[in-house]
Amino acid sequence: MSSRLSAAQHSASRSTPPDTALPQRSFFSPAMNTTALRIAAALLALCIFLFDTLSPLEGAVAVLYVLVVLLAAGTGRRSDILVAAVTSLILTVVAYVDTHGLSLAGAPTLRALVSLAAVTIATLLSLKNQAATATLAAQARLLNLSHDMIFVRDTFGQITFWNRASEETYGWSAAEATGRIADELLETRYALPRDAADRVLHDTGRWDGTLEHRTKAGGRITVESRWALQHDARGRIVGVFETNTDVTEREAAHAALVQSERRYRRMFDATRVGVVQEDWSAARRELAALGLADGEALAGHLATHPDLVARLRKVTKIVDVNPAFLAMIGAESNSHLHQTVDDVLSESDPTFGPALAAFARGDGFHEGETEIVRADGSRVPVIFAITFPTVDDGDGNVLVFVVDITERRQAQDAVLHAQAELAHAARVATLGELTASIAHEVNQPLMAVVTNGEAALRWLRRDKPDLQEVDSAIGRVVSEGRRASEIVKRIRAFLTKTPTRSNALDVATLIEEAAQLVQRELARAEVELRVEVPADLPPVIGDRIQLQQVLVNLMVNAGQAMAEHDGRRLLTITADQAHCQVEGGRIEIALRDTGPGISPQHLERLFDPFFTTKPEGMGMGLAICRTTAEAHGGKLSVENPPDGGATFRLTLPIPHHGTAA
Amino acid sequence: MHHIPTVAIVDDDDGVRNSLASLIRSLGYEARSYGSAPEFLADCETGDPDCMISDIQMPEMNGDQLQAELIAAGRRFPMIFMTAFPTAPVRERVMAAGACAFLDKPAEPDTIAHHLAAALAHGHA
Repeated sequence: MSSRLSAAQHSASRSTPPDTALPQRSFFSPAMNTTALRIAAALLALCIFLFDTLSPLEGAVAVLYVLVVLLAAGTGRRSDILVAAVTSLILTVVAYVDTHGLSLAGAPTLRALVSLAAVTIATLLSLKNQAATATLAAQARLLNLSHDMIFVRDTFGQITFWNRASEETYGWSAAEATGRIADELLETRYALPRDAADRVLHDTGRWDGTLEHRTKAGGRITVESRWALQHDARGRIVGVFETNTDVTEREAAHAALVQSERRYRRMFDATRVGVVQEDWSAARRELAALGLADGEALAGHLATHPDLVARLRKVTKIVDVNPAFLAMIGAESNSHLHQTVDDVLSESDPTFGPALAAFARGDGFHEGETEIVRADGSRVPVIFAITFPTVDDGDGNVLVFVVDITERRQAQDAVLHAQAELAHAARVATLGELTASIAHEVNQPLMAVVTNGEAALRWLRRDKPDLQEVDSAIGRVVSEGRRASEIVKRIRAFLTKTPTRSNALDVATLIEEAAQLVQRELARAEVELRVEVPADLPPVIGDRIQLQQVLVNLMVNAGQAMAEHDGRRLLTITADQAHCQVEGGRIEIALRDTGPGISPQHLERLFDPFFTTKPEGMGMGLAICRTTAEAHGGKLSVENPPDGGATFRLTLPIPHHGTAA
Repeated sequence: MHHIPTVAIVDDDDGVRNSLASLIRSLGYEARSYGSAPEFLADCETGDPDCMISDIQMPEMNGDQLQAELIAAGRRFPMIFMTAFPTAPVRERVMAAGACAFLDKPAEPDTIAHHLAAALAHGHA
């Protein structure tokens, strides 16, 4: 069998282009080889013919024509064999006729017939062998087409056939590999002992498993190997047919996949970000059942059907959560307490509906801020990002990343608190500057109360009590008492430490209340106050106390600036609606005084903290005013109008239509 | 016929002015009320009061300016000043110019009555 395969190998190799695998033991190219054989056969035939014709020897020289046929058969071509055979037969007959004529000559005739018979038999055998060889060659060509490495080793383990894929993958040519011991050449590594594989092979005739082979370049490849025993016609084992599939890349890809899986698992387990894997397939079904193709319509439907959102919360299952998320919700393990989204989200959560809308719309990503419920029932403020899987990953793999923002909230609260403290300190400082006015404000009604009370007593204690006077005096006591408490209330409201509140504020009222606080101060400085506010201004959104603080500060400053200035002392406060292309609608409150104006070298630094032009000033007033204006989304600026004085402009945004609280 | 003393009250605060008027009337005097210093100065028909009680802090013209104007005009009658925000310089200036009293607001009605009586007695003497 092995020899026949070797023959097939010859034949197959010959049919291949000359620059690839050459047949073993050949020093010629196939074309040269063929030509040489043909020439040799022709020369041999000529020699035999001459010898047969010219030699006086009586013998069966013509039998030697068998050699010509066999030489021609060496080319492996049917036509060569036939040409050689026909030529040999003709030459035999010609030599016989030339020597003996057409008559029968006894023994020579017999010898000629034997020769003819020998040539014919040799031809027939050669033709048969050629046919078998051609079949094998075709089979070998098929084996060469295979991407698998196929080789045959004989009973000693020596390689007798080595296909193209083997040459390409292992690096050794067929010539180099043939005759080598397969296990030595390839440094085969077996997962199990070699004996075990052989036992299976001998018991069943086949074996398959995974092996490791070496290449000529020194690399190692992993192959899936299939062995089959080869028998000859009598059933004797003549070799092993071995097919190897290179699975190195597949194995590497698999290993990479496993590694990647492990890496993501590590991330999932070790990250401080909470990760929740959720199954949204039930939600998908219910949303699809609504039949609302349009995303906007669906979002609208979800917004107006809280009961639907509530139900979908209950059918959206939690598949897996990571340790960080467990820690976040204060749970020991992935307990039965948290089976659906409904168990985790606070009941007032406003984000699930929009998330469903994003999901149904086919968004890949959705994020928001909400509160989740801990195992002990307390709330945790979080921001989250949802990644919806692509179609082929299925709705069961919705991943939600959750970050606890409690600390951030606390920091924000602390900042707000600090701002409130600072604003309070600033208000106290402002009131400090207003001490004279406040004393006056409060003491006036108190004075009136006491004096009225005393007067009433005196009217009452007269010999003839004047009850009418008593009545009007006590009436004034009551109204003056109320007036006093109003003033105290106003000052206290101004001084209260409150966190920032946002309300819709009427601009006219805002200015009016601030003006009340400084009225006396302005009167003392002999400043005339004129307020011009149109009636139909839209409200601004902000903190009443903080904005009043700004106005009080600006008014006190204006009063102080004008107190040391000769000439008219007029403070005009105007409010107007302006529209800015970039920033939208604005309210602009302008405070214009008739003081000396801001000196140019101070204009730049006027709003800097600790910048002051007053001998006892702290220099915080205007800095805080600007901060407050900016915190409200507005601006505070100053300019010196050409006709004298200074104008401070406080601009505040008007909320967009519909968002006004 | 027994002369009823006339007391002028100058204060921009309605509540204070009205209560003082009531008190003064209950004490048996006649009260005249003025909402500002210029208003008092402008009242030439009724003649000088027997005594004047005036606030210090007022818009347009304050108490000590009023005092200075009156002295400059040679109008001399007992004057009592009151203020809700007393400061030493103002007190000294007003008292040096010859005021009878400088009272802090809120002032005790008895104190007012006492100073009023003293001023009127002094004025008659």
